[in-house]
Amino acid sequence: MASHFSGVLQLTDLDDFITPSQECVKPVKVEKKQGRSVAKIQIEDDGSYFQVNQDGRMQKLEKAKITLNDCLACSGCITSAESVLITQQSHEELYRVLHHNKQSSSAEQKVVVVSVSPQSRASLAARFGLSSSETGRRLTSFFKNLGVHHVFDTSFSRTFSLLESQREFIERFSRKEEDKKALPMLASACPGWICYAEKTHGDFILPYISTTRSPQQMMGSLVKGYFASQEGLPPQRIYHVTVMPCYDKKLEASRSDFYLTEAETREVDCVITSGEVLKMLEEEGVSLRDVDPAPLDKMFSSVCGDELLGHAGSGSGGYLHHVYKHAAKQLFGVEVEEITYKTLKNKDFQEVTLEKDGTVLLRFAATYGFRNIQNLVQKLKRGKSPYHFVEVMACPSGCLNGGGQLKPLPDQSNKELLQQVEELYREERLSVPEDDTRVAELYHTWLESVGEERARELLHTQYHAVEKMTNGLTIKW
Amino acid sequence: MKDTLDLVHRFNAHPDSRCWFVAWNPRGTLLASCGGDRAIRIWGKEGDSWECKCVLSDGHQRTVRKVAWSPCGNYLASASFDATTCIWKKNNNDFESLTVLEGHENEVKCVAWAPSGNLLATCSRDKSVWVWEVDEEDEYECVSVVNSHTQDVKHVVWHPTQELLASASYDNTVCIYKEEDDDWEVRATLEGHTSTVWSLAFDPNGQRLASCSDDRTVKIWKECQPGDGDSAEGTWKCVCTLSGFHDRTIYDIAWCRLTGALATACGDDGVRIFKEDATSDPDQPIFSLSAHVPRAHSQDINCVAWHPKEAGLLATCSDNGEIGIWKYKSEE
Repeated sequence: MASHFSGVLQLTDLDDFITPSQECVKPVKVEKKQGRSVAKIQIEDDGSYFQVNQDGRMQKLEKAKITLNDCLACSGCITSAESVLITQQSHEELYRVLHHNKQSSSAEQKVVVVSVSPQSRASLAARFGLSSSETGRRLTSFFKNLGVHHVFDTSFSRTFSLLESQREFIERFSRKEEDKKALPMLASACPGWICYAEKTHGDFILPYISTTRSPQQMMGSLVKGYFASQEGLPPQRIYHVTVMPCYDKKLEASRSDFYLTEAETREVDCVITSGEVLKMLEEEGVSLRDVDPAPLDKMFSSVCGDELLGHAGSGSGGYLHHVYKHAAKQLFGVEVEEITYKTLKNKDFQEVTLEKDGTVLLRFAATYGFRNIQNLVQKLKRGKSPYHFVEVMACPSGCLNGGGQLKPLPDQSNKELLQQVEELYREERLSVPEDDTRVAELYHTWLESVGEERARELLHTQYHAVEKMTNGLTIKW
Repeated sequence: MKDTLDLVHRFNAHPDSRCWFVAWNPRGTLLASCGGDRAIRIWGKEGDSWECKCVLSDGHQRTVRKVAWSPCGNYLASASFDATTCIWKKNNNDFESLTVLEGHENEVKCVAWAPSGNLLATCSRDKSVWVWEVDEEDEYECVSVVNSHTQDVKHVVWHPTQELLASASYDNTVCIYKEEDDDWEVRATLEGHTSTVWSLAFDPNGQRLASCSDDRTVKIWKECQPGDGDSAEGTWKCVCTLSGFHDRTIYDIAWCRLTGALATACGDDGVRIFKEDATSDPDQPIFSLSAHVPRAHSQDINCVAWHPKEAGLLATCSDNGEIGIWKYKSEE
């Protein structure tokens, strides 16, 4: 099976196409029970293991289980995580929950929420020849017909990510003299990049990475926090699905940082890709063209009337654009009208500078794809990075070209398709994060009510260096 | 076999260790060697003997697997199992470590300079091939990472005149790369060997590529030209297979720019020279074994390298740490 993960994760130790049963090197902690030293192990017909003691008594042995979190915390392979993932996060799992709801009493039913990313909308829009907003309305109707209760839009939660990134940047900039790792601030929305940084460059690189949550995990906070309390539901009664352009987002949702321990539930229960939505449409035997549009769910959607709104800047969320404009104004009083991107080595490495009287005030970059990430990391290691902020994305061309997006049709080149998706994505009218009254209201009512510390937890996250295993078992010959 | 391959010199280059690879500088005045002792040594001829001019021992933490001279002869690149590639700059008789290229996840197996000297390729057990660009300030940047192979990549080699790259792998294939839209991509995958492909060599004008393998054969591949029947341009086909000559794995192959002779390094401790039949059809060339030294070294031979200026001079190195200098004489 070919891996769906981004190229960054497919490198080397992160990509060995094995399943845990074959070659997992993760040492499993076993609860040792005091017993006699001699025993036989017997394997039953059903594959279960029994310990046969000397006196003939049999005792069933526990299976060693590797969870996804074990995989993520291990410096060994990552694709073994893939097979674990597939069982936990797939459109089939969504079907299972919807089916379960139909069979259960209302007390046992789950409230199903689907949050759709604007990149996925654009990808599906291109396939069905619709506008992005129209795709949003029809997806709302498609999911609701299947039994989904609410369909939200992650552009809405991205407004939080953008605002928090802006604030975090200003805060880091102010302590750049005393803290050498305050800058450059590296964007944190790409889970492929985060996973690579944690596994390969660990403690060196992590302090640079913005702690701001990605739009997916902001939505996680909103749905399992604010929405749950508004609806008077315990978080575990909500089943939260996101639709993402990226396979790596499944890894992000599975991080222990986004697990609500008390409620024993994840903030995002299941991530399905744009491609998996297409698969669902195919399984239902419907074309999005034939689905009647439904009104948008306005609770958590970035809308103006019936139209969904987007953000300016790159198709990867526009982090550079928003942080740059905000910083220019806040720090230097410069109102930036238009941003000029200078292409460096290749189209996936672009630079933006703010100059005044010949001195560079701000230097930002967007680096996409593994090769450019490499150069960025090496520059940082040599102390030669000239940047204040970098929008880092694992995929070449960014999120619109994510691994979970729809594949080109046989008569279509990848380039043509990408261009089409980009155009559809850009057709959405823009919203300015600072002007979103609904978001401002949530900051005021919800986030202020929970206290500063809790608000920080809801809007930010943390990273963990993965120690390289020195275990002899990891050597591959 | 009318031709002869005679030993000129033999010296212990990496004592108590393996000598993995040797490379002549472009002028042919220096020979660089590397080994399991983590060192790189630079050898020069003084009168009749070969003397060690320089030892570069502080660059790598593990085995140095390959070394390569830049086309101008002023830089040396070394690929190591410590996952790094070092770039050394030659200052008169000394070498200074200029930069260390990091990024490969584990053992770097080979390094090669493009004919222009502006590009460098590395490959690794991490299954990837990287292309690096050098600017005027001796700064290196990665321009591409290609995950073309499914296993360990053993060797990379550039076309002698074009910016065309070839790699050989444990996955039994050879890949050919070209730059496309500011990134490097695989243009062709050469399938035919039934085991690890260890090394590659282009012929003097770059029309053909020789590969050697653990399957004990050498294959000659030719690029299809426009008008070559039904084969698309840019595809490569195998036009000749040399089998039955080698008793063990063939670790290295070298195509002499001056004479067109093909030399192989074999795990059976032998060195063999093949010559192309001048009258044979270029699309179905015939190569014959023209010289064979069965026990050229007492252990596996890892490398063969033709001298760039002196026709017929060949350097070899072996698991026993020795370097051999040989003279090939053809009867013609």
